[in-house]
Amino acid sequence: MAHVPNPRPTGDFRATYAADRTLFRTRNETMAVLAGVVLVALCPLVFGGYVLSQLILIGIYGIAALGLNVLTGMTGQISLGHGAFFGFGAFASAWISGNGIPVLIAIPLAGLMTMAVGMIFGIPAARLKGLYLAIATLASQYILQDFFARADWFTGGTYGSLAETASVFGFQLNNDARYLYLVLFWVVVAFVAVANLARTRDGRALVAVRDHYLSAEIMGINLTRYRILSFGISSFFAGIGGALYGHYLGFVSAEGFTIILSIEFLAMIIIGGLGSVSGSLLGAAFILLLPQAMEVFANGVATVVPAIAQGTAYIKQMSVGAAIILFLVLEPEGLVHRWRMTRASWKLFPFSH
Amino acid sequence: MATLHRLTLTAALAATTIIAGAPALAQDDSVLVGHLADYTGATSFVGKQYGPGVADAFKEINADGGIDGTMVELDTVDYAYKVPEAIAQFKKWVGNDMVALQGWGTADTEALISFVARAEIPTISGSYSAHLTDPQGKNANTKAPAPFNFFYGPSYSDACRALVQWAAEDAKEKGTENPTFVHTGDNHPYPNAPKEACASYAEELGFTVAQPVVVPLAPGDFKAQCLTIKDSGAQYVYMGNLGGSVVSLIKSCNTVGVEATYMGNPWAGDYQTVEAAEAQNLIFPSSTPFYGADVPGMGLVKKILENGGGQVGDRPTHHYLRGICSAYYMKEAMQWAKANGGITGKNIRDGMYQKTDWVPEGLEGVCSPSTWTPEDHRGLLRVTINSGSFTDGKAVIKEIAEIDVPRREEWLGQ
Repeated sequence: MAHVPNPRPTGDFRATYAADRTLFRTRNETMAVLAGVVLVALCPLVFGGYVLSQLILIGIYGIAALGLNVLTGMTGQISLGHGAFFGFGAFASAWISGNGIPVLIAIPLAGLMTMAVGMIFGIPAARLKGLYLAIATLASQYILQDFFARADWFTGGTYGSLAETASVFGFQLNNDARYLYLVLFWVVVAFVAVANLARTRDGRALVAVRDHYLSAEIMGINLTRYRILSFGISSFFAGIGGALYGHYLGFVSAEGFTIILSIEFLAMIIIGGLGSVSGSLLGAAFILLLPQAMEVFANGVATVVPAIAQGTAYIKQMSVGAAIILFLVLEPEGLVHRWRMTRASWKLFPFSH
Repeated sequence: MATLHRLTLTAALAATTIIAGAPALAQDDSVLVGHLADYTGATSFVGKQYGPGVADAFKEINADGGIDGTMVELDTVDYAYKVPEAIAQFKKWVGNDMVALQGWGTADTEALISFVARAEIPTISGSYSAHLTDPQGKNANTKAPAPFNFFYGPSYSDACRALVQWAAEDAKEKGTENPTFVHTGDNHPYPNAPKEACASYAEELGFTVAQPVVVPLAPGDFKAQCLTIKDSGAQYVYMGNLGGSVVSLIKSCNTVGVEATYMGNPWAGDYQTVEAAEAQNLIFPSSTPFYGADVPGMGLVKKILENGGGQVGDRPTHHYLRGICSAYYMKEAMQWAKANGGITGKNIRDGMYQKTDWVPEGLEGVCSPSTWTPEDHRGLLRVTINSGSFTDGKAVIKEIAEIDVPRREEWLGQ
């Protein structure tokens, strides 16, 4: 029996169709999510540039990580080329908007273009599994990276390309406070879409492919179709994330989308929780904020022990690595699991098991 | 009555203090200058020399009273030669009212051209890409005008033209007929910058120009590339990379048996590279004398090094001196700006245009006379050419030529 990440807990029965259709498990959960969205929307009134830029990046990486979670968490396929798809979305959107199409339309178009590219590179998945697929997707990473450096007409080659500023009817989204709303919009769209996907016929088919591909095939699920579809959906969100990233920075450079980024995306979903929708966002936040938290930690240590002041950079890098290893050893099911355990202990207090 | 009198007196005193204090406060102010440095990335071999040059120079400038009383708050950030990091950092600085930027690499400086123009942030970069020299887009071939970009030294293209000019004479002396020239370097904005410009001048001078060879910027085993160079029959190999990559290339090519003269770009040659590569007759351009040379400005350089952060040891390469020049040109432009309406980006830019054959005060003999005009940002066209050889365990560097590259109209920005 294959390991099933984050299954529905025992005793969680749905007695009515209405109960089965709700997007969130409880009323309180629905309220909490809505409150979270409203809180983020209010952030520009309270916080300055730094916090806003972190929120924007968490949103952008969260969308892309969500895409990878559809592929890896839901369908059980591995991809080491997600960073390149993210980059493709960034270049595609810069290219489309550079040809006179408004940025707001260019972003979903870039998502669709990336989806097409992702489905082409997903074709090997029809025949390959596990480590073999990992290497095949690694090739897509390098092919795309080389394409970025050479396709002058599309990416500006090694010089990179300028991405237009997004605007709504002449209103420029040219600062962090304004851009946050665009990212928030896409975060809501992406996460609601994937949460719903999990409950559709196609979504269940993807999960069946992950859990036992042979059984799935015997039940009449077309493995090739669903594996490639999964690559398509995953790349679509990578493309949307990349497009948002490109327009946020204002400039897209081939250097930004290396294998390191692909591995970071994998780290995000593993730490956040494989197969979990909200875990993607938690994982993105963790991977983005950990180095900064470690910087504060390292500087703090340096003030107490001045002798190591020269080595804070090393301490920071090593603590990031150590934190990730500890996390994987102590919490292999991800942040989402930790959150569920915490919640369960509140609910069952004082009789927690 | 006495109380009232005292009150008036206090008020008057307070008013005087406020009025007198206002200029005093202005004296204490400071301006933010961003400083992108590469201490850990692909170009850190020379970034660790140039970056401290800039940082130590501003430390000295502040110790000597700043910009006529205004302190320069230099924020040095190691961006590891990554363009997205540089852009994110630039945006952060603009949010904090930066007035000028000390930049570094070609990829990031060229990526930032339109950003610095929009935000009016004059930039002195460590990139000498000729694409930064056409401020108004007068040359029809210029892709994007760069009105706020400056650098101290000959552009990569002009330095390469000077090398080619030297090579043409060298070939004539040696009796080589129809010599072959080849460009090597990574497929990256920095090595690519002079590729076409230099090849077309080489052709003009009668060279056969072989297909460029891509050599990664990261050090490695380059025997495959060296075999290609050998097959091309090139006598003059231009190296667009620097540091470890240059060392690897020379060593790999010696193994393969390439017999050619290696010519480096402005970052490819220094005593450390010559020693590491055990190179013979490595040709490279320079725009300052080497550390310790007998020139009037060396006193200030030594002082800057002594009071500096100590990152370069006691024998810096000439890249450190170029960093100092970059900082002092900016300092004098800021002084002019302060006297002419305040230290703002636009005024500092205009300050760069005020002098001809400009040498910063105190650095006579170190920084070569440079002239920037609103139409032409090719500040320096004189290229000193050196030859470095590894003899008896150390590098011996000789100046072999001084070439004035012509200021051709069609070369502006190319």
